[in-house]
Formats: sequence, C-alpha cells, structure tokens
Amino acid sequence: MNKILFFAHLKDEVGEENIRIDVAGRTVAEVKELLAAEYNLQKLDSAMTAINEEFASNENVIEAGDEVAFIPPVSGG
Amino acid sequence: MYERYSRQMLFAPIGKNGQEKLRAKHVLMIGAGALGSSNGEILTRAGVGKLTIVDRDYVEASNLQRQQLYTEEDVLQKLPKAVAAERRLRAINSDVELCAVVGDATPEMLDELVKGVDLILDATDNFETRMALNDIAHKYQIPWIYGACVGSFGMSFTIIPGKTPCLNCLLKSLPVQGMTCDTVGIIAPTVQMVVAHQTAEALKILVEDWEALRHSFVSFDLWRNQYSSMKMSRAKDESCLSCGSERTYPYLSRENLMKSEVLCGRDTVQIRPSKEGEVDLNELAAHLSSIHYEVKGNPYLLSIEMEANRIVIFKDGRALIHGTKDLAQARSIYQRLLG
Ligand SMILES: [Zn+2]
Repeated sequence: MNKILFFAHLKDEVGEENIRIDVAGRTVAEVKELLAAEYNLQKLDSAMTAINEEFASNENVIEAGDEVAFIPPVSGG
Repeated sequence: MYERYSRQMLFAPIGKNGQEKLRAKHVLMIGAGALGSSNGEILTRAGVGKLTIVDRDYVEASNLQRQQLYTEEDVLQKLPKAVAAERRLRAINSDVELCAVVGDATPEMLDELVKGVDLILDATDNFETRMALNDIAHKYQIPWIYGACVGSFGMSFTIIPGKTPCLNCLLKSLPVQGMTCDTVGIIAPTVQMVVAHQTAEALKILVEDWEALRHSFVSFDLWRNQYSSMKMSRAKDESCLSCGSERTYPYLSRENLMKSEVLCGRDTVQIRPSKEGEVDLNELAAHLSSIHYEVKGNPYLLSIEMEANRIVIFKDGRALIHGTKDLAQARSIYQRLLG
C-alpha cells in the first residue's frame, strides 16, 4: 500500500490531502497518468514528485510502503 | 558606523566579520513585485554592499496589499517599480549602493548585469525569466535563490552551480499555463514566508557560511496547513542542458524565447509563447470568469477585457494585447494571465 499526498490546488481538486492506493511497481509517470484520469487533474504531469521526501523523476519506480507527494511548481512573485 | 547593524553582528554566525563580508557583496534582484519588495527591504536593512533591482512594471493600486515598498503616491505617479523601490530603499539605508534598471530581464540584459554579482535573487513572476536566469547563473557560476508563490502556496530552493541540481533538472521543461497571482490571487503572508526562506539563505551565502545552507526544496501552504521539505540529492541530471556536462544554456537562445512585436500601425502587441502548446480555452475562460474578468470567446479564441487593455488569446497560445505599444508591458500582461 502507498500513501499519496497532494499539495496546494491538487489537494482541493482531489478533495483530500492524501489517499491510500497500491501503486508498488509502477513508475512516477504511470502513477501521474492514473491519478490525473481518476481525479481529472489537468496539470499533474508538470508537478514535482517526492518519494519518501526525496525528489523523484518520472522514471523512478515506486515500492511498497513508499509515500509519494505531488508538489506543483508555481511562478508567481 | 556599525551601530545600526549591532544586533545582526551579535548573531554569532554573522558577527563583525560577516557584516564586513556582507558590505562587500553585490546582489542582483530580478523583479520588484511582492518578493522583490520584501527581499529588497531585508537585504538593504541588513547592509548589503550593492543591490541592483530590475523590473519592467509600474506601481498599480492592486500591488499595495502586499508589495511593501510602495505607496498610494507611487500609484498616482505611475512610477516604475524599480525607481519607486530604489527611492524607498535609499530612505531606509543610505549606506547601500542601489541601482535601478527599468526594463525586461532578457538574456542579453542579464548577461550585462551579472558582471561582478555575488548572488542573484529570484523575485520574478514567470518561468521563462527564471529559466534564463538559471542558465546565466550556471554560465557565470553565480548562486541564485528560487522563490515563488501563489495564493497561500509558496516554495524556495537554493541553487549553487556545480554543487546542487538546477531549476532545469527539476522542471525538465517550461511548465505550460501555470497559476499566477493575477488568476488565483495571493495573500501577503505567503510572500513573507517565501522571502524569509530566500533571505536567510541569501545571508548565509553573502557571509560565506556555506555549511549552513539548506539543501532541501521547501514548499508550504499557509492556508491548507501543509509543509514539505524535499531532499534533492537525487535530482541532479547529468544530461541537463543548463548544468550538465554538455550544456548549451537553451534558455539563452532566441528560439526558446517568447516573441513579441508591435503590430504595424496598431496600438497592439502580438505575443508568441516560447513553447508551442494548446491552451485549454474553456478552462481558462471558466476560471477568468469566475474571478470576475469579462471574458468572451468562441472555440478558437478568448477575448478578455482588462482595465486599460483587451487581450485576445488563441488556442495555440498566441495572444494580441490591444491598447499598448510597449513590448515589456505586453509581455508582463501575458505572463500575469498565463504564467
Ligand atoms: Zn540542471
């Protein structure tokens, strides 16, 4: 099982701060695609991903028990 | 003369030695909006040697809620932000050498301005300028500090060429159609929290306390009560074109820049984004209407009425900014809406 955390507007779009699903064995890119479809998230592909609070790229594979966080980059200033 | 800095010098990691180092340093700050106002004020009060401020906008009433250097008088005079910031900062600390540059931070301008600079502070409002700034920082080996915010959400990361990953390592490409302060708003505490992270790191760099740097990518949401600190040791991409071994500095080249031109004989500027990509007009229209912009459109384009301008955005991201011949102002309006 994995815990998935959503930051900023993603949290509002999903309706929860975190969800639990089993995505072990899948890449970050695959999980983004899956969640974008499930929750109709427009800009999840450009979000940064952390696995266990460490930066992960789209090719990284998620393991059982990993905590995955999606953080959307912002440009305001 | 160090009396005014006595409390800062009492802080052991800075001390008199650190204060003298700070006084010998030159910081280049890109942007004098919300992040620029607060970053500029803190560094000026701290007694940095020289501060160069670059900004293309003028002060508007909607800035006053969070852009702490500006006053109602600045709005009445429509003063360029760089000029108004310089005036206010000079009144705060006449010790600091201040240099205001009114204009767009293009790669050419950045290349001129970075000479002799010890640190670049990011206070800009768009990724295109940040990616150019990231390339320039790596070309000349100058540390820079990314900071950005929208709504109640903010983030910061310290980038040291040759040591840390860079912004291009993290983003891989220019994000399309980001959220901006003009479309989802911004509250002042978010600005201050980003600036607190940026200026603490800036002071560490300027007094050369490299050991103390943070290394993690910090992000937080002050309204949704979220905090995150992401370790970045795995983020460095050896094939990165901005910081890798075969770097080309892609964001300094013309083809990766937003194109803008005044349309002949019209009070209109045309903007072509640097990255081709479909804009979701329905989503943009729904969002802008919901925040009380007057939006009309059809499947091919959107027309948005603003105070002094009318903006027409096409599906491919191209836009016409009516009511101005000023390229920098037109780019500013475009990036405020589309990020
Ligand atoms: Zn890089």
